[in-house]
Amino acid sequence: MIAYLVTIATLVSIAVLIAMALNVQWGMCGMVNFGLAGFVALGAYTTAILTLAGWPALFAVAASVVVCAVMGGLLSLISMRLSEDYLAIVTLGFGEIVRLVTLNEGWLTGGALGLPGIPRPLVETIGSENYETAFLAGAVLIVAIVYFGLERLTRSPVGAALRAVRDDDLVASSLGRNVLLLRVKAFALGGGITAIAGSLQAFQFSYIDPSQFTAIMTAYAFMAVIAGGRGSHRGLILGACSIMFLLEASRFLKDVIEVLDNAQIAAIRLILIGAGLILLLIFRPQGLMREYRLSAPRATAATAPPPTGKE
Amino acid sequence: MSNRVTEKRGPSRRHVLVAGTAALAMPYIRPSWAAEGPIKMGMVIPFTGATGAYGPEMEKAAKLAVKSINDAGGLLGGRKLELYIEDSETIPTAGAAATKKLIEVNDVNSVIGYWGSPIAMASKQLLIDAKKVMMVSCAANAVTEEDHGGLIWRFQAKSTQWGPVGAKILEQRGYKKVSVLAQQNPFIVSMIDPFVEQVEKAGGTIVDNVTYLPEQPSYRAEVEKVFGANPDAVFVPGLLTDFTSIMKEVYRGGFDSKVCSLSLAADSNGRFLEAVGPEVAEGIDHFQPAPPIESPSYKAFVKAMGAPEGTVFLFAGNAFDQVWTAALAMEKAGTDEAAVWTEAIPAVANPPGALEQDGLKCLEMIRNGEDVAYVGAGADCDFNDNGDQLNRHFLHQVIRDGKNEYVQTLS
Repeated sequence: MIAYLVTIATLVSIAVLIAMALNVQWGMCGMVNFGLAGFVALGAYTTAILTLAGWPALFAVAASVVVCAVMGGLLSLISMRLSEDYLAIVTLGFGEIVRLVTLNEGWLTGGALGLPGIPRPLVETIGSENYETAFLAGAVLIVAIVYFGLERLTRSPVGAALRAVRDDDLVASSLGRNVLLLRVKAFALGGGITAIAGSLQAFQFSYIDPSQFTAIMTAYAFMAVIAGGRGSHRGLILGACSIMFLLEASRFLKDVIEVLDNAQIAAIRLILIGAGLILLLIFRPQGLMREYRLSAPRATAATAPPPTGKE
Repeated sequence: MSNRVTEKRGPSRRHVLVAGTAALAMPYIRPSWAAEGPIKMGMVIPFTGATGAYGPEMEKAAKLAVKSINDAGGLLGGRKLELYIEDSETIPTAGAAATKKLIEVNDVNSVIGYWGSPIAMASKQLLIDAKKVMMVSCAANAVTEEDHGGLIWRFQAKSTQWGPVGAKILEQRGYKKVSVLAQQNPFIVSMIDPFVEQVEKAGGTIVDNVTYLPEQPSYRAEVEKVFGANPDAVFVPGLLTDFTSIMKEVYRGGFDSKVCSLSLAADSNGRFLEAVGPEVAEGIDHFQPAPPIESPSYKAFVKAMGAPEGTVFLFAGNAFDQVWTAALAMEKAGTDEAAVWTEAIPAVANPPGALEQDGLKCLEMIRNGEDVAYVGAGADCDFNDNGDQLNRHFLHQVIRDGKNEYVQTLS
């Protein structure tokens, strides 16, 4: 049982990281990224290919973070000429490109067969006995670091500027913010985080193939962010956990209910997620948690300083 | 983060804590009947996602086998066999989570099913680490390639064995200029090279070799490129949905090249004909690793499944055999300890034992200390040292006037 929970918790950590990346890009900066799964795949493949080539895990992950961050930055440059909806289409295209490349460039990515036997970091040192737990600890640590980093960012002037860009980029730019640079930064940061998530996934399964990085991965990230409250990192952790909880806990339904057959239970599990999300949006449209904002009582007490334009 | 007192902002820490504790505790609350006694097996098959259609028939077949074992008094001196089934969602990560759940929570000694190579690939390490038996219904060679300590058994022909059969069919029909239009998926891509090799060995030529992606909105470009070159025949290994679109496109374009495909696309338990009608389907050759269709055990199986006589189940028979092979091996080894009974599988499945198709009779013979070689509903169930099934026969059929006609059995 414990080992099962450890696995689930590890998968939740990966989902949380992906959702956090989306939250930086979309939640905070207002740039929709439908190519999220593509970024995760890019990160996973970069890490996998490099570790298989004999790189130490840490360097491989670092390299994949750089690759995804640069790719994210470049992609966001397109937003220079395109407004939000069009960027969404471009990111969708990016996701497809990654998928097609991973599927068709067999010499590099193993094509549809994927890459098996990805060496897991520190296996010899830790030993296989407690490896899963140690891996989870590592994943949680990474989530914690990213979380606190993002919380700081949210509270910093840059965070305020990002939200300003999201809410009205014209206002932000007329206040002297470099909108384009902010967008590039947000997208690159998000890209870097997805690379970490992808690397964790590659190490977790020690096997990756293109069918692991489908649109459903992006959809779950959007669900986590929407359920959690757009912009709220704490909320999305709760959102990602609830989705995973619903999905996994419902596996136990059929061990108890014997009236329904497996095909029906399987459908019900997915209906449950959909219904949950709809109910949530009806009764708590703002999401489970609220985005960080100077709260009303305090704002009136210590009138929030307006952006100064020096940032 | 902040400890400022502000207006109500959702669940309190206490709520979260209570919910979290409940969440953690839930899986521990197990019904009492799951305690000591029954022998537990797991099964991971798709019910949702792109391959969701194949789950139900496999479930039904596996349950049939379990029921007849339990009705006859169970295994190992009266212990009931319990089967826990999980949905793979056609997503490798979900399949792996399901596998983990079966191993850790349900404490199964083996997990069977596994339709789809990526799901098997993502799950196999979990089973090897836990020293549980894995029985797969998927074809990709990679599943059994690396050392798996004798724990993985494939109830399916390897992909590389499929290709030459397609080539032989085209050769027999006298088609020399041949093209390939294949779906990009691990199971199908691995059959292309052996196909091409066999065609060239027989003196044929490959005009085009094109792969396409599943779930495309249209296949016009691919169809026009391949069929436009007017080869004698085109080998189109795909799955039901994309093959249906491709054939409609071919019909619309009025191309003359003959088509050869896999039965799981061009038959799919009759769903292909339902989707396109007899005109489009006319003259399509198709093949698949066949269950021993003429054998009494397969006929009895089809009847038990409630299907019309002559139905060709590609996967259900394998699922049925997986349960039976595992049950027989456990009985032979006298234990439900996976690492032990997995070694008994060749002893109950391969010759020189007496060939027997009825699982219950096999059980009886094993209990009497006789040597038996189980012949399954899906295949002969003989295995090599690597866990791959041997002697898979392929059934070649052709569609005439909206019906499948038997042509031959190839091996």
